[in-house]
Amino acid sequence: MQQTPVLELKNIKKTIKGKEIIKHIDLTLYPSQIFGFLGPNGAGKTTTIRMIVGLIRPTEGSVTICGHSVAHDFVKAMSNVGCIIESPDMYKYLTGMENLLQYAAMNKTIGKQRVRDAVEMVGLQHRINDKISTYSLGMRQRLGIAQALLSRPKLLILDEPTNGLDPAGITEFRNLIRRLAYEESMTVFVSSHLLLEIQEICDTVSIIKQGTVIKTGAVQELLHEDKIEWQLNDPQKAIALLDEHWNIKAVQLKKNTVSARLGEPSLAEINELLIKEGLELTYCSSKQNTLEELFLGLTEGDQIV
Amino acid sequence: MFSLIENEVTKMIAKKRLMFVLIILVILISVFAYGQNRTLARTKAQLTQRMGITATVDWRKLAEQQLIDMKGRLDSPYMDAKSQSSLTVRMQQLQYDLNNNINPLDQSAAKFTATFMEQSIFLFLPLLVVILAADMVSGESSSGTIKLLLVRNVPRWKILLSKYLALIILEVVVVFCAFLLSALISGFFFGFGGWMAPVATGFKVLAGKLDASGVFNVQEWQFSLMVYSLAFFVAVVVGSISFMISVLVKSTAASIGIILATLIAGNFISFFLSDWTLTHYLFMVNLRLTDYLSGAVQPVDGMNMLFSVTVLFVWALVATFVSFLYFTKKDILV
Amino acid sequence: MLKKTIWYSVFTIAIAGIVVLAGGFYQALKVTTENSPFRPAKVAMTQTSGSPAKSELKNTNTLQLLILGDSIAKGTGDEKGKGFSADLPQAIKTDTSKDILVTDAGINGLESQGLLGQLQNGRLNKPVAGANFILLSIGGNDLRTILSLNPQAQEDEFKIKEDSYLSNLKQALRILRSSNPNAYIVFLGLYNPYEKTTTAEEVSLWQEWNYNTELLIESDHKAIYIPSDDLMKFNLGKYLAPDGLHPNSAGYLALSDRIRKSLESVIAGT
Repeated sequence: MQQTPVLELKNIKKTIKGKEIIKHIDLTLYPSQIFGFLGPNGAGKTTTIRMIVGLIRPTEGSVTICGHSVAHDFVKAMSNVGCIIESPDMYKYLTGMENLLQYAAMNKTIGKQRVRDAVEMVGLQHRINDKISTYSLGMRQRLGIAQALLSRPKLLILDEPTNGLDPAGITEFRNLIRRLAYEESMTVFVSSHLLLEIQEICDTVSIIKQGTVIKTGAVQELLHEDKIEWQLNDPQKAIALLDEHWNIKAVQLKKNTVSARLGEPSLAEINELLIKEGLELTYCSSKQNTLEELFLGLTEGDQIV
Repeated sequence: MFSLIENEVTKMIAKKRLMFVLIILVILISVFAYGQNRTLARTKAQLTQRMGITATVDWRKLAEQQLIDMKGRLDSPYMDAKSQSSLTVRMQQLQYDLNNNINPLDQSAAKFTATFMEQSIFLFLPLLVVILAADMVSGESSSGTIKLLLVRNVPRWKILLSKYLALIILEVVVVFCAFLLSALISGFFFGFGGWMAPVATGFKVLAGKLDASGVFNVQEWQFSLMVYSLAFFVAVVVGSISFMISVLVKSTAASIGIILATLIAGNFISFFLSDWTLTHYLFMVNLRLTDYLSGAVQPVDGMNMLFSVTVLFVWALVATFVSFLYFTKKDILV
Repeated sequence: MLKKTIWYSVFTIAIAGIVVLAGGFYQALKVTTENSPFRPAKVAMTQTSGSPAKSELKNTNTLQLLILGDSIAKGTGDEKGKGFSADLPQAIKTDTSKDILVTDAGINGLESQGLLGQLQNGRLNKPVAGANFILLSIGGNDLRTILSLNPQAQEDEFKIKEDSYLSNLKQALRILRSSNPNAYIVFLGLYNPYEKTTTAEEVSLWQEWNYNTELLIESDHKAIYIPSDDLMKFNLGKYLAPDGLHPNSAGYLALSDRIRKSLESVIAGT
């Protein structure tokens, strides 16, 4: 894509109290992209997001939003961003509307009409004039999203945005995000544990583990990596063959089962070889991967550092 | 910036802190006025008992007598030149009382207003300011609202400045209300007058002693204005320091605790002022600025109005500087 | 919108307030630091009849009276304002045809230490040297500080105060005598104006004070101790000023007369 990147993270590192929380991150996002950010607890997702919006300073590296450096051109960079970081904490002693008006007052480009539009977009019209101490978790979440949308940002960063929403709410949210990305060319950056959601909403995904991105790719491609299971008489031989011929790392599951992920080579080709080598193949199945399995597979066995 | 300050003041009002402070003021002023009233009645009764009824009711004779005595002293060639001013000043006051038929023992709204702030300036007023200031940043840190405040297209220093200016605005309001409430509430007890009465000022501290040689009278309203201006200055200084603590410390309760502890410690440390010069530079012991004005100060060598004001000013400046430096650089991890 | 109006009014009050308070602050600073621009109108210092120039003339036709001491010496309480400095010469005049020159160096609140200081600083050398009569009233302020103490502390404090007072008085007398061996010194004893509220213990302390003073004074054969308490005891209503402490006009006259009576022969003989 030849458009200017909306978000560029170059060589981001962060050390907190001597511990390297973020080891290395490079990331580029373009307009209309819906991007998912995944990782186990403690991998550094929220830390990365905080660095993007200037809450934390990177130890090394740069963050650029729409061509403006967050470190040196904060105001211009942030004019393009709307975000929620973890929970959207707002002033409990004010009403929803008063909270939004406070944020609107900080930015001359946000008028009263825009505030009303944002409220409508998240469906809070009927409760907007109540004190937020009376809101449910879902309502607070919606208000948070409204707050993020106020400035018509080019980059929308959402940390756990569907937290507390009921299934209907989640569907509404999904539709809203899609609309924003395609109709208003917003880039949406979503960090979530709800892998199914990410799978449904995002087109690109990065998986972060222990401060580095271990996998990035279009969701479809990643999911396209089929997971195959064979039942054979000699699992070890099969594993050796798969490794030798196609460099595929297979693992032995229970008794006679071998499992591997396949990208390129066709299943037919592999099966042919296995049989040729004298293996008795009793069962073979292919499972469409879910992001969850991909995720767990890549990150399993990790301790939270 | 205007809208930012408006935001901050709105938050403070919505949090009901300002109202809380004003209520405390009303209660304390009422209690103080009532107490003074009772003491006055008791003093008058005691004098009557000891010296016969003439002492209180017939104060005019006494005042006239005192005037004559003082005039005599003034005329004496052996009169100490230094005491001349204080004598003249006292005579003017007595003359005013006689002319306006005011019993010198009596309290007035004007006198009370000035006295109340003179008594409040070193502990009570700072307490009120701390209630407002201590929460300004640490409250947002502990509740997490600071995140959404900082991820906007406004640089951090501007946000902190808007908070600081909002604090100053609130400090003016508090001082103004203290004045208004004192005058109003005490007026019910003592009558609403007394604003033109002469009050002595012009005291200086020279070489560790109180020097009354340049003393002269100003009208009570001018005196009150000066007292409340000094109070405002103290409020801004204490506010700046509380503000800094609020930036550095995440909990509002800890913030308030720290400031209160230092203020109270100041009371104890004032015992060492004459022996331990280092203590002169603490802000807590320099808060009694109105004492210099009224001559009620316990003179300590080297501590005069200019010194105290300078010490306080430097503290406020450093505190503000530290606040801004820390706030703009720190990582927000809440 | 209500909130907007509240905010605007708050803001306006604040701005106005800051300006006014800044002005007051500047004023307060000025008042306590530089020399005040408001100098009190210079009160004309009129000379009393005891001007130093005149006392140079040791005219045999003039008697010189020097009054030293505290507020009673000064005449505080007298409606006419003069006290002894008018009444005593008036009284003495009945016994002599000479003119009487009065120098009144009384100072309100003076204690024995202050009197000693006055004599030591030299400003009174001329009046002292030229005086025929010296009236002394001192010690009341020294003693009064004891009265405000609680009974337990009183006795000890009294001893300390009394010793220091007597020592000061002794030294003062020595200075007077070294400068003027011939003048008649009259010491006016203390009376108790708090008749109604004095305890028995306090009365005995105060009597001891007077007694020891008398002993000291009488050791000089040209000095005399004249009590005032027997005159005042039952006559407080008649002779006491409204402040309940000093003599009034009638009181000063009565005391002056008593002094005159004691000095009758001496005055006539000069």
